[in-house]
Amino acid sequence: MTEGLQITAASKYYNEGMNRIAALDRVSFKVEPGEFVAVVGPSGSGKSTFLSIAGALLKASEGKVRLNGKDISELSGKQLSDIRLHEIGFIMQASNLVPYLNVLDQLLVVKRMSGKVRAADKAMAIKLLEELGLGTKLKNYPEELSGGEKQRTAIARALINDPNVILADEPTASLDTKRAHEVVSLIAHEVRTRHKAAIMVTHDDRLLTYCDKVYRMEDGKLSLAELESIH
Amino acid sequence: MFLALKELRHSKTRFLMIAIIFVLISWLVFILSGLGNGLSTLAASTFKTMKADYVVFEQGSKASMSKSLLSNDLSAKLAKMPNVSAVSPMGTIMASAIKGSSKLNEDKVDIAIIGIDPGSFLEPAIIEGSGLTSDQVTKVIVNETMKDEGFKLGDTFQLDGSTESLTIVGFVKNQTYNHVAAVFTPMEEWRKLAFAAPGSDKGVKDPVNAIMLQGKDIDRSTINKQLSGTDTVTRAAAVQGMPGYKEENGTIMMMLAFLLAISAFIIGVFFYVFTMQKSNQFGIMKAIGAKNGFLGKAVVSQVFVLSLSSIIVGILLTYGTAAIMPKGMPFMLDTKLVFTYSIVLLVISLLSSLVSVRTISKIDPLKALGRVE
Repeated sequence: MTEGLQITAASKYYNEGMNRIAALDRVSFKVEPGEFVAVVGPSGSGKSTFLSIAGALLKASEGKVRLNGKDISELSGKQLSDIRLHEIGFIMQASNLVPYLNVLDQLLVVKRMSGKVRAADKAMAIKLLEELGLGTKLKNYPEELSGGEKQRTAIARALINDPNVILADEPTASLDTKRAHEVVSLIAHEVRTRHKAAIMVTHDDRLLTYCDKVYRMEDGKLSLAELESIH
Repeated sequence: MFLALKELRHSKTRFLMIAIIFVLISWLVFILSGLGNGLSTLAASTFKTMKADYVVFEQGSKASMSKSLLSNDLSAKLAKMPNVSAVSPMGTIMASAIKGSSKLNEDKVDIAIIGIDPGSFLEPAIIEGSGLTSDQVTKVIVNETMKDEGFKLGDTFQLDGSTESLTIVGFVKNQTYNHVAAVFTPMEEWRKLAFAAPGSDKGVKDPVNAIMLQGKDIDRSTINKQLSGTDTVTRAAAVQGMPGYKEENGTIMMMLAFLLAISAFIIGVFFYVFTMQKSNQFGIMKAIGAKNGFLGKAVVSQVFVLSLSSIIVGILLTYGTAAIMPKGMPFMLDTKLVFTYSIVLLVISLLSSLVSVRTISKIDPLKALGRVE
């Protein structure tokens, strides 16, 4: 298996005074294209550390992280930037759009990070936004959007570079139940039709029905949870 | 540039405020430089526009006309020195011209009487009337600013504290010395005025204040060695030696230096605080793959656009101010000077923005996740 994301025996230690805290304790994990996986757990359980390591934001103290079969644990900061730009799509909490860019520019700025924006890129961005139901909001700024629309913009932004892996960090944090369902079902839909490997970190149990697998994080240890036991 | 311009357009008030501060600073910088330029022109334009390359003073005169006394006999010896192509003596005294026989305050005008050899390279170009002649020593040429004081071609004026009177036969342009209008007289007349008191020439034969030399790469030490009691300096050094010149210029330069330093800090601090405020935003962009260079470029180009437009507005305001300034103000804008200070301001603001670039490079993309563990 060469596609998707594979983490093997990854640990992350922090020093706290004289003690060494394991935020992540020998975690092994795999997600394949077309698969939508959720990671749940109480706060402080190491979910964020896990997502940071999976998202090439943080280096593991031990263990290996393979993205599309490529080991990213030894790459430089600059190379990690490129990996994040081209191979990972981040969906973050609602407020994480750039305030002075309109919906279309939110996507084009990602294109600009890797060079020039061509007409084809613009057409693709518009098509993507239309598919996500934002066709009439192209010129709106984040402050003029509803929470759901902001999150749909974030989903589009995550997809613009056609990455293999999608990482969602509490994508429903500031949404009501109806909007939360809309957003997660949209992510699930995009993941399956576009054949992406997706991980969602959440503590919102209502949304796990959309996921193929649910992992539970507790004190830095990751274990597969039975879907039924959650519902 | 993309991010920079989008943000400028979105947060207009914020950027407008800093732009206004920068416009005011650049305006003040240009006005001060114009004032400094005007003052130094007023103080020494006769020296600055003179076609001489070197000046021979008496030893120990601190390169100052008023402290130097030489015999014109030296001229012949100087002419034989290597690289010297022309030699001409010069003398200066300060005086007051009295219009007619008036006793009114406003009819006394301060002037600088400059003695030169008629027809020598020291005689400035005439813009109106005729030049000096050796046989009519009381016929003088004066700076055109004396027209503003009511003097006309052919007027004869008295000198305060003297029985001598001089007649204007020609006008010249941009000739001021020691902040007052220059009046050029033949050497002979100057001697009569400068050494009116018996013995004030110290018994020097054919006394002059200094001897001007023309010629490239004249070896000053050779002249100093061969002609004892002389001190040869460049023309620039002679300008610096004028009474009050260094002090006057120094004051203006100090103010300019402070202003430039202040502008560096204002721009630097503004963008630094601004960057700190946006650190979360920069973190997000780094998380989705933006490199430090991409974000740094955005800040630098923002500073560039902001400073450049502020400087341009500042220049326009300065020329506007110059147009409405009273005529007597010693204000002279020099395009080259304005250009130089614009570049200096621009470079300073760009350098100060590098502090923000450094801050950006230190922002951790983990911030984007909202909770750094």
